[in-house]
Amino acid sequence: MYAQAFFVAVFGLAAIGFGVVVFRTSSMVRSALALLFSQTAVGCMFLAMQTEFLGVLQIMMMATEMSIMAIFMVMFMMDPGGMGGMDMTHQKRFSIGAGVVAAGVAIVVAFWADWGPVTAEAPDAAMQTRALGMELLGRSMLIFETAGITILTAMIAATAVAIPVQTTANIADKEDTE
Amino acid sequence: MNFVIVLLALLGSVWLLAVVEGWTTTGRLRPAAPLLSGLAHLGRESIVPRTPDRVFFETAPVLLLIVAVLGAAVLPLAPTLVIADLATGALFINAALAYVLVALIMAGWGPNGAYAMIGGWRFLGQLIAYAMLIVMPITAVAMRAESLVTTVIVGSQDGLWNIVYQPLGFVLFFIAAMALAFRAPFDLPTAPGELGGGVDAEYTGVRLGVLRLARLTLVITLASATTVFYLGGWHGPLLPPWAWSLIKTLAVAVSMLLAGRYLPRIREADLMRWCWTLGIPLALLNIIVVGLLVLVVP
Repeated sequence: MYAQAFFVAVFGLAAIGFGVVVFRTSSMVRSALALLFSQTAVGCMFLAMQTEFLGVLQIMMMATEMSIMAIFMVMFMMDPGGMGGMDMTHQKRFSIGAGVVAAGVAIVVAFWADWGPVTAEAPDAAMQTRALGMELLGRSMLIFETAGITILTAMIAATAVAIPVQTTANIADKEDTE
Repeated sequence: MNFVIVLLALLGSVWLLAVVEGWTTTGRLRPAAPLLSGLAHLGRESIVPRTPDRVFFETAPVLLLIVAVLGAAVLPLAPTLVIADLATGALFINAALAYVLVALIMAGWGPNGAYAMIGGWRFLGQLIAYAMLIVMPITAVAMRAESLVTTVIVGSQDGLWNIVYQPLGFVLFFIAAMALAFRAPFDLPTAPGELGGGVDAEYTGVRLGVLRLARLTLVITLASATTVFYLGGWHGPLLPPWAWSLIKTLAVAVSMLLAGRYLPRIREADLMRWCWTLGIPLALLNIIVVGLLVLVVP
């Protein structure tokens, strides 16, 4: 019990620490990978709380997601390496205020919410995986399928928008520039 | 105890693979060569490039080695010879190997060199190509075993190995595993002769030694995963279970080497096109076929 609390606390602090690094660095790749390791630490918190499947899934998903985010940040920022001394932050006062308010709300909810009875003994990992599968393919199936199809539609739409349309006008333009 | 045995088996396999690799490239069988070359790496100067991202530069080789070992930790050599028999083993290996990408991006970005950076980002494109072909065949394997536990997956192949039960999945997984291990013909992030070593380019001395060790360990881990998922793991006549696991793993690793020697390097765009237009439909077909087999055949 104490060991569990200790590891949850350690990984929680690591998650916050890496979260701070995200905003303290000017390098876009460092920032993205710091966010990745913050999320990995959250995955480790899941593991420490005996939710094996969720923990492993979190650790797996974040690696690719954050790496892909890193390349987009490198592509779109003017100073991706952070070596040009550009200030990457903006709206400082508003963001500090929003951060403090959000943290306050989270703390109030954590302490005052009725969390119900705490499960004394977590079911073993294989049972959890089974229960999760039943949930995803049963009651929650419609929600997840709707979300999945929506994201897929958005991806196809975004790709379609990004492909340049061949019209007689822009073919003529191209020939002019050549 | 299991930890030490599996680690020694991993090291031994890496050594054998390095010897075979040397044998196929130089034509001479020199058992001491990997050890000598490792010692030589220790003795050489390990240069740090100008204005590097020091944290990434130092972390990348070590991270690559750690994820390769972590991946091997859930793969059983024998029914009880496994470091961690996790309830989510087949998912865990994916999670561990996802960090190969993170290590290569770090190795690419860290040294502040053009070739290295191109190599690192190239691997990101390579991941977009191979990732689904790792996960979807494993899904079909887990469907047959009705479990994500690696020892149960091997147990499910008692009598009929998955290479026979789902050959399509095996072919896709084998190709994707080679792409994940960035072996030729998928060695786009290093691309000797074209990118001047890519992510390897700026590493020297002991850091390069760790990077090379990590790459070979990654190949062994993936060969071991192929063995566990498709070649019946420890199943086999006469010899003890662990011996079968090792023989199969080495056979897969060597076949990966051989395939790489006789095939030209594939272009990034071609790899992505083939994986998405042909690979993923085939992987879906594999899932459907296995699903039907699981439901229909008792």
